[in-house]
Amino acid sequence: MGEMDAAEFDDVVDDWFIESLKTYKDLHVYQLEHPTRVIEWTSGKTVCVAGYRSAKNELLELLLPLKLLAEENKGLCAERDFKVVHGGFAEGPVHCLRHIPGTRCAVTNDGRSSGLQVWDLGGDDSDVIRRTASVAGRSASGRGSRIAAGLSSDPRVLHGAESSDVLLTDLTSGQSVYKLKSDAADPLSSLQFVSDSVFLACCCSGNIYTVDTRASDAPRPSPPPATGGGDGVLWCADASPSSAGGAGRVARLSSSGEAVLSDLRDLGGAVSRARLDVLIDHHNWDDVKVSWAPALDDCIAASGFSGTVQIYDTSAWAAEPAAARPLFEHRGHVVSSQRADSLPVLVTSHVWHPERPRTLLSAAADGSVHVWDWVDQSAAAC
Amino acid sequence: MYIKQIFSKRPRTKLDQLVGAAITFCRCFHAEQIRPEDNGLPIVHHSKYVCELPANHRFPMGKFPRVLHFLLKDQVITDKQVWVPEIASQHLLSGVHTDEYLDNFINGKINEQEQRRTGFPWSEGIVRRCRYETGGTVLAAEIALQRGLACSTAGGTHHAFPSYGSGFCLLNDLAVAAKYLTGKSPLKRKVLIVDLDVHQGDGTAFIFKEESCVFTFSVHCGKNFPLRKQQSDLDVSVEDGMEDKEYLSTVEAHLPWLLDTFRPDLVLYDAGVDPHWEDELGRLRLTDQGLYQRDLYVMKSVVTRGVPVATVIGGGYSRDIDKLAIRHSIVHRAATQVWRECGM
Repeated sequence: MGEMDAAEFDDVVDDWFIESLKTYKDLHVYQLEHPTRVIEWTSGKTVCVAGYRSAKNELLELLLPLKLLAEENKGLCAERDFKVVHGGFAEGPVHCLRHIPGTRCAVTNDGRSSGLQVWDLGGDDSDVIRRTASVAGRSASGRGSRIAAGLSSDPRVLHGAESSDVLLTDLTSGQSVYKLKSDAADPLSSLQFVSDSVFLACCCSGNIYTVDTRASDAPRPSPPPATGGGDGVLWCADASPSSAGGAGRVARLSSSGEAVLSDLRDLGGAVSRARLDVLIDHHNWDDVKVSWAPALDDCIAASGFSGTVQIYDTSAWAAEPAAARPLFEHRGHVVSSQRADSLPVLVTSHVWHPERPRTLLSAAADGSVHVWDWVDQSAAAC
Repeated sequence: MYIKQIFSKRPRTKLDQLVGAAITFCRCFHAEQIRPEDNGLPIVHHSKYVCELPANHRFPMGKFPRVLHFLLKDQVITDKQVWVPEIASQHLLSGVHTDEYLDNFINGKINEQEQRRTGFPWSEGIVRRCRYETGGTVLAAEIALQRGLACSTAGGTHHAFPSYGSGFCLLNDLAVAAKYLTGKSPLKRKVLIVDLDVHQGDGTAFIFKEESCVFTFSVHCGKNFPLRKQQSDLDVSVEDGMEDKEYLSTVEAHLPWLLDTFRPDLVLYDAGVDPHWEDELGRLRLTDQGLYQRDLYVMKSVVTRGVPVATVIGGGYSRDIDKLAIRHSIVHRAATQVWRECGM
């Protein structure tokens, strides 16, 4: 973009502000003191974020602006900002954070070792987030662990850095109740339960293990369908939630911008594919993320390639990969990031609201956190 | 017979003044309909203050007729008080706007990039409504000079610059009115623009930066649009969340001495309601009472100094049009009280 003086920069933001009145139903902007790479729902109205600096970092539980959540009587809610409701400190960076559903418990990993920290997020009587326990990992690889919360009623956490060290640990007893049998030390990009007893271990290589914890034999990985991308391509993936329409699908996204949709029962095959409209020139793979919309059929969000979050409608995708245009692109972080000589800002994380079809939260490397409810322009009458 | 008496040197009787005024009125008002007989607070309104907008457009266009509706329904005014403005001519507008912009604007040659910044897609309807709105502000100012106080049911499009529009403003009505009413040298009138909309009156500030006969005074929230601020003659930038008491103190700290030092011949008052806590864009926390007290204070301060004041409704942003319109009608209600109390 080149050097821009303050007035010109303000102009850009002002232009975008006027534009945003048309393109968003709601938009709230928050600035954290330190950026986060994690946004995790802890209830319908609260999310947890945490810093990732090398030493001490804050964990915060934020309450969404009440003005956003009120369907009627929006005017009655004066609060337009996020509110910090609970806070605590972690000794190191937080690279992964998961909330255990049905509890006030969260689990984190620092991205440089395999162990987990367990936290009590606090209740009405206290605004402090306290560390209560640790869980050891199996790996000595120096890689951070991915984490998934178990879907069963017992508080369990699935974790591991590579396919050879995945453990399911019961948080009450601290004992591991399942170990994934695998010799391949395939670095993981994510772990995800798709039912009470079945989980996916998604590897950076694109391999996905479908694991039934009740079965005794070692699961075999499904490689990604062949794509145009060469060697060195990294993959992330997301399985559509069981509640969403078209359940049982997995979306994979590669570092070269290729997206592949597969049926959960046939992960080696591709139902449809596309080339996303993203910048491939990035240096940080860790923050690239793809996710299915919980309440909007066939839609996925992708972020981490640049300072934007893109929404795609996959219903139009075909078996042969073609260039796809996003249904919507959130440019807020780019527009409002620090200017002039600073590096272009990257989006570090995004999440969909579990119920509101077009509401997302996103965070960027400059500490900004946005919550936005976008307008589907294609559906609007002209 | 009566016409001759206007120009005679003998002391004018009240009757003479009335008749003379009627003839002057017809000649000098930019109005489609005038109300010289009515003794109530003059209200300026035109049904063409509105136009069609694309479905789901966020600008609350419906608020203008609703303001009048609620004032009539609540019997604050009767329709006999309503003056109807003429459409602002290109000549009138050219006092502030460039010929090129006016030509493009009126003929639909505004490019897409420029349209985006305004927030409006171009249409003949939007051109017409902006011109009527501007005409309304000019008329309110003219009436105020004769009667002391007048209120439009629209106006306050202070983000418009001479050669481009911005932020839902396509023509700068306050600037056009101020420019027209300062008149010609050497007897130029002095106009004070009091802009209490939560957004800085950047267009107006820019237009009158070098004009010593027009003083621009803006109280606004620093963090609200536009981030790129212009320089008014007096800018007071306030913090997010300011409430009634502190806000009123802020206005009280500046307005009286401004009136006493600048000594305007006319005040144009932008009574924007977007400092209200329910406003979707404004970042302040005024209540209905706070707005009422503010408007009462401003108008009383001006009127008791014998200075005429014309008001416009300014900005307000809400998806509940009726609630918004009622909020906008606060200034008319306060003006009615001032009209009564000051025996106008």
